[in-house]
Formats: sequence, structure tokens, C-alpha cells
Amino acid sequence: MKAFQYATAHSTDSARQLVADKGAYLAGGNDLLGLLKEYLISADTLVNIKSLPGLNKIEDGRKAWTIGALVTVAQIENHADIKKTFPGLHEAAADVASLQIRNVATLGGNLAQHSRCWYFRQRDVKCLKKHGDLCYARNSENRYHSLFTGNDCISPVVSSLATTFAALDATAIVLRDGKELRWSMAELYAEAWKNPYAHNSLQPTDLILRVEIPTTRTRSAYMQASDKHAFDWALVSCAAAADMVDGRLKSPRVALGSISPVPHQSEAANSFLEGKVLNDATATQAADLILKDAKPLEHNAYKMPMAHALVRRTLLKLKGDA
Amino acid sequence: MPSWPAETKYISHSTARVDGAAKVTGKARYSSDIQATGWLYGMILRSKWPAAKITDINLEKALKVPGIRAAVLARGKEFTVRYYGEEIAAVAGTSKQACLDALRAIEVTAQPLPFVVNEADAKKADAPRVWENSPNYKEPNARDRGDVNTAFGQCAAVIEGFYSTPVQIHNPMETMGNTISWTDDGLTAWSSTQGISSVRDGLAGSLKLEHSKVRVITEYMGGGFGAKFGSGVEGALAANLSREAKAPVRLMLTRFDQALAVGNRPSSFQKIKLGAAADGTLLAFEMDNYGTAGIGGGGDAGGGGGGADIPAPYLYKVANSRVKQSAVAVNAGSARAFRAPGNPPASYGIESAMDDLAVKLGMDPVEFRLKNDPSKIRQREYALGVEKFGWKQKYQKPGSSPGVVKTGIGCAGAAWPAGGASKNTHGEAQINPDGTIEFRLGVQDIGTGTRTVIAVVAAEMLGLKPEQITVKVGDTRFPPGPGSGGSTTCPSISPTVFDICTKALQQLQTQTGIADARGENWFAACKKLGVNSLTVPGQWIEGLSSNPAGGVQFAEVEVDTETGLVTVKKILGVHDCGLIVNQLTLESQINGGIIMGMGYALYEERVMDDLSGVMLNPNFETYKLPGIADVPDIEVVLINMPERGVIGIGEPATVPTAGAIANAIANAIGVRVSSLPITPAKILAALGKVPPATA
Amino acid sequence: MKNPEPENFGAHSRRTFLKSLGTVAATAATAQVKSVADGLEKVNAEKVVGPDAVAVTLNVNGEKLKLMLEPRVTLLDALRNYSSLTGAKEGCDRASCGACTVLINDAPVYACQKLAVEAQGVEITTVEGLAQDGKLSKVQAAFVEKDALQCGYCTPGFVMSVTALLKKNFHPTAADVKHACAGNLCRCGAHPHILQAALKAAGVEHTSKTEIVNYA
Repeated sequence: MKAFQYATAHSTDSARQLVADKGAYLAGGNDLLGLLKEYLISADTLVNIKSLPGLNKIEDGRKAWTIGALVTVAQIENHADIKKTFPGLHEAAADVASLQIRNVATLGGNLAQHSRCWYFRQRDVKCLKKHGDLCYARNSENRYHSLFTGNDCISPVVSSLATTFAALDATAIVLRDGKELRWSMAELYAEAWKNPYAHNSLQPTDLILRVEIPTTRTRSAYMQASDKHAFDWALVSCAAAADMVDGRLKSPRVALGSISPVPHQSEAANSFLEGKVLNDATATQAADLILKDAKPLEHNAYKMPMAHALVRRTLLKLKGDA
Repeated sequence: MPSWPAETKYISHSTARVDGAAKVTGKARYSSDIQATGWLYGMILRSKWPAAKITDINLEKALKVPGIRAAVLARGKEFTVRYYGEEIAAVAGTSKQACLDALRAIEVTAQPLPFVVNEADAKKADAPRVWENSPNYKEPNARDRGDVNTAFGQCAAVIEGFYSTPVQIHNPMETMGNTISWTDDGLTAWSSTQGISSVRDGLAGSLKLEHSKVRVITEYMGGGFGAKFGSGVEGALAANLSREAKAPVRLMLTRFDQALAVGNRPSSFQKIKLGAAADGTLLAFEMDNYGTAGIGGGGDAGGGGGGADIPAPYLYKVANSRVKQSAVAVNAGSARAFRAPGNPPASYGIESAMDDLAVKLGMDPVEFRLKNDPSKIRQREYALGVEKFGWKQKYQKPGSSPGVVKTGIGCAGAAWPAGGASKNTHGEAQINPDGTIEFRLGVQDIGTGTRTVIAVVAAEMLGLKPEQITVKVGDTRFPPGPGSGGSTTCPSISPTVFDICTKALQQLQTQTGIADARGENWFAACKKLGVNSLTVPGQWIEGLSSNPAGGVQFAEVEVDTETGLVTVKKILGVHDCGLIVNQLTLESQINGGIIMGMGYALYEERVMDDLSGVMLNPNFETYKLPGIADVPDIEVVLINMPERGVIGIGEPATVPTAGAIANAIANAIGVRVSSLPITPAKILAALGKVPPATA
Repeated sequence: MKNPEPENFGAHSRRTFLKSLGTVAATAATAQVKSVADGLEKVNAEKVVGPDAVAVTLNVNGEKLKLMLEPRVTLLDALRNYSSLTGAKEGCDRASCGACTVLINDAPVYACQKLAVEAQGVEITTVEGLAQDGKLSKVQAAFVEKDALQCGYCTPGFVMSVTALLKKNFHPTAADVKHACAGNLCRCGAHPHILQAALKAAGVEHTSKTEIVNYA
């Protein structure tokens, strides 16, 4: 890493000012230190935000839960009531990386993490996302890349918590220039859909404060497929959430991760599922709908059947014991 | 003729590793832990071009970075770089941070050259040449036996397949490297190596030093698997930095460096045609194979001649065969010997072909092998394995297991021809008047339990307990022994220790008059030595060790046919072990070989990018090693054959695993995935579930 | 248990075969950064340190390590290169192998991805801090007994992960052990014995299924 200064911020204002001049927010540091070690980004000052007040709480607000951006993934995994109320979130958290990483990784950092594309992460390849001329993955090794793209960069979002929050219709509260913005997961990653240089919609001084999760959907589930059984990025991740009334889905949502720069959802799939009884046929049709218009590449087309299976299974998991 | 005792207290039983306590407490100092007085940190600058003409290198700015004490060139200022990651220069300084800053301050003037990184492209006549003066690929000559064409005509069943294996990276947990101190008095290298003598040889040669001025020490090292022989470019760089800085330099490779530049297992692309008579007798075998050993198309890349060659038709006797194989050079790091060079790809290829032919013949895969495998030992091993594994009860026709998650079983065999002893193994024991005894052997313990083997054999021969034996290894000042490779260490050191002990007892008798100084007489005998210790040299002797080794493995897998995910449920290894010296560490070796073979089957491959020429996965994130959640239930059957003496096991244990797993997967899903690693993507494609690309 | 010496890291140690690294002076490039930060410091009254070395105090195995470190020095770097605590190993320096696993307030973390300046005010436990008066901990003893190691380079990391698990969960299942150790890699393939050792340390004995057969 290049030399840097280090400061601990005690207010969001001072944090922003320190970051504004070529600094970077430092929470858990997993992603940031990894980027710095490969010289992929530059930061003259690392601003420790772990002392900012009020950002590390998990609160049950009955209509919605709030999880502070500084809450660690391990804390989410180990929270007994989250496991009961949002089982999908518990499952997603438990699968993130390894225990050593979960112990320091924060919710905010997990959502804000940069692309894992191996060209982006390669110190000597100037890919499109790094303001180079070419998206190498498009024409070469793209086995881990997107089925849906909005621009020439095909790097997908890999935060499995984002996939799950998308299904739960959670809102990220982001502080920008002193004002709070309320973003859906779609909005949090919208910029990455439009702009090849972006990883998400955050600007350098924006700060994720918390995520609010409505309790509307009493059932949720998460699954992922990876090469290895643990400590491996998802090839495809899937989350589903819904309320169940008289055996029929209410407000269903299903989202896919690692196949698009944004957690992928389909209006058509979600509306189709509304009011339906969950079974193989309805789950299959929803899977067909959510993958419609996917554009598989030379090496990632396997994600089609894989995603299809995950959507069916994750939806059917919502049935639980019923 | 000497012989091992028939009744034993320690040999063939289980003794805990004698250096276990040192390792679990952090007391063990590995080469990367050495903190010599005034030591400096060293790092290497590597080529970011896959091919380039370097015309100038400027170290001035690097030398000005605070904390930097030396900077040296790897090969002068003008040379041709032929792979991404090749060494350019190195620096040494008072901290890692200073070195990182200094590397970024080195100015390199380079003209990028055309490159080629994939084997199929590199074979083409118009491919960029890796070496200007030779083609990347030469059409091989055929090695013929009998008359294949006629023989194929006589076969009741013939299969043709194309089986491929990737380049595999050793990736030991401790990277290569040394701490080197080079002063006027001489050079000391604490080296992470499998061959202290090879490091001394390398350093003395490249630095023009007398052997007597070079000492290499390897008390503990973090794995090698064949990559860690010789002093390497990094050794010479560390030495030169030390000389210039007048301080010891610790230069360990980073994980990035390790993946790029210090060896790998060559790939293989095996076109195999195999035919048999109706009764299952193999009649004809034809193989056309090529693979890459990186820029090193030949030399010491292992696997036989040409670097990427593999033994074929490996285990089986086939009267008519034609074998053609050759290496193709690409702009990537060269191969080095990697645990059983040539054998895992050979086993994978032929054993996949055997299963495919068995299916075509309608024969049980084990029966088919028994019909054609001339090895009595493997015949026995298959029989034992079939019994213990429940093969007959478990076997189902390919793809016939019901449900979405299909189960399947498979098997494969190994033949490790080497594994015999090195006659050039020496050692000594110093026996002190208080009865303490220290063995000194110039061998290495690379994790196999060498120290423990020495302690166990000595304890047995002297009637003492293993914890009463002090064992020192890994110093070129000790009587020399072989490098730890080829599965030769155990059969080399065991007879050597036997010889030392025999001689020690004889000398004790001569000196003290005590006829049998073993066991309860030991301390009395030693006391009679008076004031001086007794040092007894010894060496390897005949009659106590042998080779080769066989081995067969069985695998049971589950394949989710909707997601392509594979779970290995169980692996059974049946291995002939000669005289089992220490059961506990032997089990560890076999487990380790199996797990490494599983990585080869399912997860590991070096991914080179055609567009940029770089390696895309020089890390543990996308170069995937099996983790504890992936490792299946592993059972081993050890065939104890004391009549064969001590043999080696390290390599045979890893040879058949990938073949067994690949066959189990084919059995489960009813269709062959013929390229390693067998990823979910490939399984889904084989099942016809993957749509064509549209983007 | 006393950590390995030296006491005054950075000064000449009295030991003849171990000596510290020197500290690092400011680089030209950081001077510019420093002046900007000085300006900000006035504005915000937040203390900005570095990029030069700053005083860092680490509580390791119950003792204080007082070091002068640049902010970019990781905890792993501090242990291995600025003190004699080489028990935690460097396998990748990218938070992907677990050889550097240490405990911070009983939670396993990767020391390579933690800045040393951020590891202050917490209790750090390394493998050197487990044995009491030369007696191996239950986990360490189980590892030796079950041969849960080969080359041993990944071993300190696994020992820390298993130690942390057993502090929280006295009766882990095999699945619990695998979940706790998923972040530790081993190239030698000691996993089966590691699993047995972890369960043994929790009081669950494992009977070997290894069969020995005589050839004749």
C-alpha cells in the first residue's frame, strides 16, 4: 500500500471533510485494504468511521427493522431475532466469506464493495472500469460475469446482502452532503447499470448510515451456488421474500445476485407470483420470467440453468413447513 | 542381509509428530520467520508484460527511497522477458513498506512483444514465438508398439475421447524464499526448500562461491510439493542484495509471485483412442497428447522427457499402441516437478478412457481393470477396496440414480515407479555419556514427518522411547542426504538410521564391554563412555527399503443436475505401504494426497488471459483450494508389507484421486465431462442444459 | 506467558541473533499529503496521524508491545516484522487463507487485513499466547495427538480458529467446526485430522476407521 494518513472521525461532517480531499472511509477495511494493496485506488487519508455514533445498532421497530451500517456481518449472522424475522438475511449473512471476515466486515462496506471482476482486480490490466478502453471480460474470460448489462462493463454486483435486501424491499439511508437519501437496492446500484466506471451509486463522500427492512414479508429465504462449499464467492445468489395469506403469496419478490450490476429483479416475475400458490409450476414460471432477456456470454451461460434452479428452490423454501 | 525386527514397539504403530508441539505453539521458526541480526526485508519487481524487450532499468529513484539499502538487477538492463511475472529487479530495505515504495520507483523501459498464452493457439504455425529461434511446438515422433491400426479393426468396442487437465500451481502455504546473509566469512541461507544441497549448489554456482563457504539451513518449511529445489532467481537476488546492503536479507515471494514464477504442473490435452475385445482384453491404445510447461518446453519440468510428457498407457499392458506427445511453449511461467510429475494427468486420462470403454462394453469398471492391470498389488488393492467400499452394492449404470441429485462411484489406480531410496543418504548420531542422543541428517522435513520417522526407527533399534531421541535435520553441515522428492525420503533415512543404530550398538559394545546396550542397559552403557561423547556415522544400506508403490482409490459423489454442483461424499484409498514406519503420519500423507487430487479434479486451474497475457488468478480467491467444508469422508486401507521394507507414499497418494472422482461424476450423470477441473459450468454443459451465448 | 523478546523493539537488542528492523522516515511524497492534513486538522480538530511512523501500543497475549509504525503497517506485519511474534504466518496477505488468524477480543480475524493502528485498545491473542507455563492448551494438545498438521504453516491459524470456536461453543458438531474453519486453508490436506482434533478438544473421541491389512 502507499503511505497514508489515518484519522478517526467523530462526526459525519468531519468524516466527509477528511474524505473529500482524497480520503477514503475505513470501516471493516476488507475491501478497502485489498484495493489499496493492489494500488487499484488511491487514498491519502484513511478515515476511520467506526467511532461515528449511532451507526452500530440493530433495532426492532415492529413495522421495520433498522440495521446500522457499522453492524458487522457476524453480528447479523448471530442475531437470534433476525434469524426468526428475516431468515433469508440470516442465511445470506452466514454465507458471506469466512468467519474472520464476517467479524470485521460491516453492512455498509458489504453493500459498497467494489467489483470482484478479475480484470478490475488485476493490478496490471487497465480495463474499462478503470478508465481503460476495453472491457476485457466481454471478449475473454467471463465465466463469473453478468447475464444482464446496461453498459459495456459486465462486472456484476456480488453483495449477497444486497440481493437479500432487494427481495425484502429494504431501503438504504445514505448521507450525501449532510442530507439523508432513501434508496432502494435498485437505486443504490443504478449508477453501476448506467456507468461503466461505477460500482454503485455512491459518490466518494457519501456515507451509508443504515438499512431499514420492512416487516411486511414474513417469509424470506436465500440460497447461493458456488464452486466450493464455503468461503467462495457466489456464482449466482438468490433471495426471495413474501408474505403468505391463505396459502397464497402476498407482495412476493425474488432477486438474483452476481448476474447483473444491480440485484436483478423482474416486474413480470414479481407480479406473476402475486396471489399465487407456490408450487413447481409457479416457481418455474417465475424463474422463466426473471431470466427473460438475459444475454449469456461465451463462458457464463451456465448461470442460466443455475439461476433458474436457484429461483425455483429459493421460492419453494418460502413454503416452509406449510 | 539386514532386516527389520519382526516384533516392534514403535515401527508400524502410531507416534505423535515429534515437532508437533513446536508447530502448534508458534515456536517453530520457518524460513519466513527468521530474524537474523540487522535483517532487511527484500522484494522483487516482476514483469507486467507477458513478453517484452527490456532496454533499460533505472534503479536510482528506488535507491533514494528512505530505508532502502540495496537494489539489484535480475539479469542486467537488456534482456527479453517471456512471461507475466518474470523477475526484473529486487530491492532490500528496513521495512516492507520501504520495499513496496522502492519497487514502484524503479523505471523500466520496455517494448512489448507479441505473446501467446494458450496451448491450442501456440501450436499454430503463425503463433507468436515464445523463443525466437524455435517454434513453440514440434510435431512429435510416434512411439509404436505392434500394429494399432489392425488391432483397432479387431476390437469389439472402441472409444475415442479428448481428456484435458489444466496447469496446476503448487501453492504451498509458505511461499518460496530465503533469508540470506552473505559476508566475507561466507553465506548462510535459511531456505524454504526441499533440498538444502540443491540450494547450496545453486548459490555456490551462481555466485561463484566455494561450497565450504555456503551453509543452508532448513529447520522448518511450509510445504513444497516439488517446487522448492534449487536456489532460484529469488535466492541469487537475496544473496546479491545481502552483499550490497551488508546485512541479511529476508526475501520471501508473495503469493502473487508464487503463482506466477516458480513452477507448476504442465497441462495435458490427451486425444485417446482405446479398444478392447469382447471379453474385455485391451487390444489397442492410441494417444496424441500435448501440454504446456510454460516457457520451459523441456528440461527439468518433470514428467519424463519434453516437460509435458506423461506415461502412457500408464498402468495397462496393451500389445498394440501408438503414443505421440510433445510440449508446446507459451508465454507463462515454466513447469517444475509437482507431486508425482506426469502421473495424475496420466491416471486421469487413461482411467477416464477405461471407464468410457467399460461402459461401452457393458462391463463393470473394476472387472474391466482387473482383466487388464498386470500388477498383482493393484489387483489385491481393487479386491480389498471393492469389499470395503461396497462397490458391488453401490454400482449403478451411468446416470441411473434417481432424482435431481445423482450419486455415482468411480475408481482409478496409480503406479509410482520411483519412491526407492537414495543410496547417497548419510547421517550421524552423537551419544553422550548421560545417555542423551542426537541424530543429525542433512535431509528436510517438508511436512511429511521425517523427524518423527527418524525418532521412531532409532527408538525401535535402541530400545528407547521416541521422545528420548533428539533429531536435527536440515543443515548442510550435517551428513548429507537426498532432497525430499520422489517419495524417497522415508526409504532413504530409515535404513540409514538403522545402520547408525547398528553401528552405535557395536561401538558401545567395543568401548564399554556391554554386549547389548539397548533399552534398560542404555544409560549404564553410555555412562561407561566416560567424558567423551561417541559420534557414530552411518549410511543407507541395502535390504531394508524398496520401490515401487501402487495404490487405488474409490470415490463416491453427488451431483446436483440442476445446478451442476458436486459434493464428494467419500473417498477410499487402498495403498501398499511397504513396512509402515509410523501409521499416524502415513495417514496424514495419504489424506493430503487425496485432498490435493480432489482440488485438481474439481477446483484448480491456472487461468491465463488471451487478451492481456496475464494470469487472472494469482491468489487464493479464484485459484481455489479445497477447504474443510469440501473435504469428504476419507478412509484408508494400508497394506502393510514388511517383507518389502520401507517405501515412499507421498506421491502415489495423489495420483488416482482425480480419475476416481471424474469417473464417479460420469457414473452419476451418465455423461462424461472430460476436462479438469470439473466445474458446475462443465457439468451443466455436458447435460445439455446450457444455452448458446447470445451477447 | 511471556512473549518472545525483544523489549525495546527498534533499539539494539542485547540478543545477538535477533534484531529489530529500523523505523521508516518520511518520504518525499508524503510531505505534501501531510501539509493538507495539517490544514484539515485545524478545521476539524480530528487528530490526523501519519504517514510517518506513530507510536502504537498493542496488547498481545497480555503484554504491551510498544512500536513505532506507519499507519499502513498491518497487524500481521507488526507481529512478524516489528516484533518476534512470528507465530501468525503470512500465506497470502489478502485475507484469503487464514494463516494469519489471530483473536481480537476472542473473535478470529485476519491480521493481514487489520491495520496495526486499529488494533489498539483490544486484546490480541496469538498462538504464542495459548500454552500456559509450557503446557499445551487443550486444542494444541489435541492437534498434536491427532496429527492435525503436516508442514505446520497453516497450523497457528487453525489453532486460533478452533480455540475461538470452543470458547463460544463447548459442544460443537462437525458442521460447527467446518463453519468455524472455512476461512482457513491447508495445502497439505490435514483437514480430516483437524476436524478430529477440534472434536477431541471438545471431548468427542474419534475412532479411526483406518484398516491395516497384511499382504500375504
